[in-house]
Order: sequence, then structure tokens, then C-alpha cells
Amino acid sequence: MATNTGRVLRINLSSGKVSTETVPEGIARDFIGGRGYGVKYLYDEVTPDTEPLSEKNKLFLVAGPLAGTMAQAVSRWIVCTKSPLTGAFARSVCGADFGAWMRFTDYEIIVIEGKAAKPSYIHITTDGVKVLDAHDVWGKDTKETQSWFVSQHGSNTRAACIGPAGENLVRYAAVVSDRRTAGRCGTGAVMGSKNLKAVVITAARALHIADPDAYNTFAKEQVNIMKNDGGFQSHKEWGTTSTQDITNAIGIYPVRNFRYGQQIGWQKLVGAEYRKLRVGDMGCYSCPARCGKVHTVTSGIYKGAHSEGPEYESIWAFTGTIDSDSIEASIAADELCDDLGLDTISTGNTIGFAYELYEKGLVTKSDTDGLELVFGKNEPMVALIKKIAVRQGIGDLLAEGTMRIAIKLDKGSDVYAIHVKGLELPAYDPRGAKSQGYNYATASVGANHCYGYSAQDIFGAPFPRATDRFDEDNADIVIYNQNDTATNECGVICAFAARWGWSALYGKLLAAARGIQVYEDEAYLVKAGDRVYNLERAFNIRQGLGRKDDYLPGRIRTEPLHTREAQGEGQTVSHNDEFLDKYYSLRGWSKEGIPTEAKLKELNLAYVSKDINK
Amino acid sequence: MSVEINIPPVLQAIINDNCRINTSGATIGECVEDMVQQYPALIPKLYDKHRKLRKGTSIFLNGVDIYPNPLSKLVKDGDKIHIANIILGG
Repeated sequence: MATNTGRVLRINLSSGKVSTETVPEGIARDFIGGRGYGVKYLYDEVTPDTEPLSEKNKLFLVAGPLAGTMAQAVSRWIVCTKSPLTGAFARSVCGADFGAWMRFTDYEIIVIEGKAAKPSYIHITTDGVKVLDAHDVWGKDTKETQSWFVSQHGSNTRAACIGPAGENLVRYAAVVSDRRTAGRCGTGAVMGSKNLKAVVITAARALHIADPDAYNTFAKEQVNIMKNDGGFQSHKEWGTTSTQDITNAIGIYPVRNFRYGQQIGWQKLVGAEYRKLRVGDMGCYSCPARCGKVHTVTSGIYKGAHSEGPEYESIWAFTGTIDSDSIEASIAADELCDDLGLDTISTGNTIGFAYELYEKGLVTKSDTDGLELVFGKNEPMVALIKKIAVRQGIGDLLAEGTMRIAIKLDKGSDVYAIHVKGLELPAYDPRGAKSQGYNYATASVGANHCYGYSAQDIFGAPFPRATDRFDEDNADIVIYNQNDTATNECGVICAFAARWGWSALYGKLLAAARGIQVYEDEAYLVKAGDRVYNLERAFNIRQGLGRKDDYLPGRIRTEPLHTREAQGEGQTVSHNDEFLDKYYSLRGWSKEGIPTEAKLKELNLAYVSKDINK
Repeated sequence: MSVEINIPPVLQAIINDNCRINTSGATIGECVEDMVQQYPALIPKLYDKHRKLRKGTSIFLNGVDIYPNPLSKLVKDGDKIHIANIILGG
């Protein structure tokens, strides 16, 4: 049986050169695919002196080795680059069909280099690759843009594109495919900086796996397990549209820019209320969960707003951040962000920050183009989203993200900027879920809830052991969650689906897809996840990041959380230093958070040591 | 037969912030039944109208997911049960 390590398509937009190559087997063995391939190629090809929005930066679109097959919930894809928000490693995960379409053309990695001389898009078919004029869609939103590509290239066409936000280099612009986004870290701005509107694929279904017979056997087994799993059935029913029921009840739903952990009147925002406006559901390629719940507003000033979403994070981004209890406004805001190509989390967090700056008098009506940014009022939020995407008025400042806004404004505004490494915090207050918080602090990409989600703290999951969610001494749990996530993202399997009872089949599916049997060894996969995490850390260390960048925001460490009726009143996260000491020690890193030579050698990463242990 | 049931954060608030409850029974189902007798407010949170576990409620015995049919599993003295709602996220 021949191995299938994946093919690479490389397009240089400056020179117009297109080439292909095969991933070397050694890389496939060590990094498996997906996020592993993303960090390996990024580390090797993007130098520390590369400015994120310069021609030198590269954009890596990576589909998983299982994508486009009959296995379920495994067709997601990843964007890796150097982030314009953080200057660090960026990985952003997306759903819909695009990952499957990449695999239909037999490409697992699309590397985009250089910068086009004019607005362009890349069109990929099994017959070849063309760089074409994007004049007709430059300035258009993501819905219009994708419709135009289908009109030009036929119904078997899928695109990963940017909206106006990416074109205008908003630092938290997203890459959008269908109505799903590779939202975090500003990957859309990097695409925009290359004058690239989209990567477009026209292809028919085709399988590229090493051992189809074995693969299909395991895939059938996976389907049977999944469809009977209670978690799958619940996810199919709700998606994540009811997570706010839990996070409000336990006091970790961030309100008014992370001052409160429970929103007054949160019962108006529960999943059952969103369900009243639900008109359908959408899903990713080959996933029966269809967890994207579609909502339409039927009355009021937002009548007609229609979105696949909001899901939990976006519900919070457009309610809790500004203390609004309008479901309708959250649907309208979510639709706008998807249309304009904005990350909802960073957008909502940044707007909540702006509201607090306004409350504190650090920005005034003359700065906000006349908008009154008063907590509870949602119309200014919707207006700000439009301004951010086109950098109009105060939108130009807000498009920079909280860290840079605070630097530009000064006046003590950094106290209210809620980010780690420049990436805005998502919808779980660390003071009531401290392992989740320390995941934010130490995640390679900055404050990302999906980088090592603490189901132990939030839902009471007892694996590998149970935690007390207010305890700060859970470094082992944070590492377990981060490495487990990295392992799963090498195959780019859905984070939800990973819990639907079929995890024992993951390695078997990978082995059959690649023809590399060692993947069947669970311990081997876990070590690969650790390897990926360490190479990401090395990338960041090489960029000059380190221990100083692994702290939660000052508010989280020093201001008591107010939880109203929930548990956790008065909590802070106050042992960041002690946590880092233990976390680094368990990871095999130095006191400064640098992977040691011994650790790198253990992970077959000895070649990295010269870059970071100077 | 004494068996400890650990309660997820979201349910602790409705049982006076308790995070674990001592129960007795020969199976997980009997232990859970003993628990809801002590705290009837848990009944609609754990069971549907047919008195079956709600979708997405996971049961772990000594840290191991015992899906499917968790309520019929036998327990012994000193065992620890964890209830978790790990279906959500986002």
C-alpha cells in the first residue's frame, strides 16, 4: 500500500509562479496533517523578521487528511499564518465544504506567497490553477462574492474569501466560506494584504486515501457510534445556542467588558428564546449534526436580519459585552460580521471595550462620530460593526484591536483592554473557570477558548480527572486539554464530534487515510500533539514572545468578579506566576517558558533548539 | 453501599451549592434515584418526561465514561459517579 502524505499547491502572487510538491513522509509521520502541517511549514518558511501584513508573510490553507470522505465531521480546515493581531503563530479553524473541496483536487495544503499587483482571486480545478482578476467582487460582501463565483464557475464551486474587513486590513478580519469563518487571529487581513479576494475551487467529488477498504470499514463504524450518541443528538438539536444558559447560571458569562459574570435578565437570552426565531439549520460537509442554527428576525428595527447563527460565542459577543438583552440585535450583528468578514469574538470584545472607554470618559461623543456608547444600547454596536469593516471614523481605531487601541489612546485605557498577546478574550470569564483562563494565558495564539477547552471546569467532565473550577493549581489539566486539542486538530476533526464516542477510531481512520500504521497508537498521537504545541511555542519564542506574554489581563487578576446570583462572587485569578512555574515545569520548558533542549530532543525537534536557546 | 455522586457546576446552584452527594444503591440508576429523592429539584434537569436521562447528560463511573445505558451499571461501595453536561461549548 502506497502512503498518501498529502500534496502541496504553492502559488506566488508576486511572480505568478505555481508549483506542486508532496509532503515528505518524515513530516507526515511527525506532524500528521492539519494544524501539524500548518505550524511545520510556517516555522520553516516564515522568518522572524516578517511583518504579518507584508508580502513576505505566507498564508497556509490546510485541509485535514480525512476531509471529503464518508467519515463524519472531519472535513474542517485550518488557516495558519503569522497573526497581524499578535505577531505570533496564528491558527484559525473553519467548517462548511471548503476542506472537502480542497481534498477533491487532491491538495491538502495551499501555500499563498507574495502579493498580487491588483485585486485577484485564485481559481483551482483539477485541470490547473489560475490567478484571475477580482475587480468585479472587490468591495463586495462575502455573500455576494461567493454567489458571483458560483455564477462564473458553476455550482460545484466553493470559495474561501474575505469581505470588506479583510480588504481594509482590519486586524481581526476573518476568512469566510459559505457562512462559516476562520475567524480568529486576523487571517482575513493577511489575505487582504496580498490583494487576494478568495481562493476558489471547482471540483467534483473524488477520494484520495491510501487504503479505501479499511477506511470505509472504520468510517461505517464511526457513523453507527455517532448517531446513537447522546451528545451528538443534543448538538444536533441545539448546536451551541444554549451554552449561555449554563455560563450565566454558573456566573462566567462576561458582562460589561468582563466586570460581571452573569447578565441581569439573562433568562431572555436562553437557548429556548433563540429557538423561537430559528428557521432552519446548516452543517459542514458530511456531518449530520447540522449545528449551525439559522435565525430570522421577524419584527422590530432588525426585522429581516437573517443569519446562520449566532452560535454561543457570537450570542455573547453581541449581548453580554454591551449588556444588551436583544436577541434580534445579536442576529443582525452576527449577519453583518459574516457579510463583512469580521471575527465576531474580537469585534464584540473590542466594542465592549469601546463602551467602557466611553463610560469612563476616555472617548467622547466627538470621538465616536456622535454615537452614544451606553451599556444596554445595541444600535451603536451595530453601527460600529459597519464602521470597523471599512475603517470609517472611530472604526479606523477600533479596527486595530484592543491592545493597539490602548497603546494609541494611552490615558490608562490599557486597564480595560481584555486580551492575551493581543487576541481578545472570548465568552468564558476566567475567574469562574480558572483552567479555561490559564488556557487563554498560555495558548499559542492568545486568548482562544478552543485551544484547550476546559470541559472539566465548565461542565464537570472528570477526565483525565475532575477539577474544582476555582482552583488555580490545574496546570496538568490545561496541558492535557491543549495537547488533546492539538492532536485532534492534526486530523482537523470537529471539536464537538471528538466527544461523540468514536475517539478510538480516530487513529485507525488516520492510518488508513495516510497508509501510516503507527497512527493507530494512541500514545504516538498524543506525542504528536505535544510536538505541534512545542513547535508553535518555538515559533513564538523566535518572535520574541515569552513568559511576559503568558499573563491574563490585569482586570482578571486583580478585580473581583461580580456574579450576582451565581457562585464565585469576588473571585480573581491571582496566582499567574505560580501557575506558570508549574505549567512550564510540566511542559519541560525553562523558567522563562522556553522549550529545553531535552524536551525538543524528546519530540524530534532538536533542530529548533538553535533558534530559541541562544 | 455508599456511592458519591459529583454534580456539574450548573446543577450545584439548585442544590444549595453542593458539589457532591452521598447516595446508596446497587446500580447507578438506584444511586441517582436516591439523589433525586434528596433533591427533587434535580428531577427535571436530569430526566425527560419519560423519566429517561436527558440527551447529552453523561455519566462517568470512577472517571470512565460508561455509555451506553449507564443507569443499569452495577456499583460497589466507595465508587464515585460524575454527572457532566459536556455536550455544549462553542
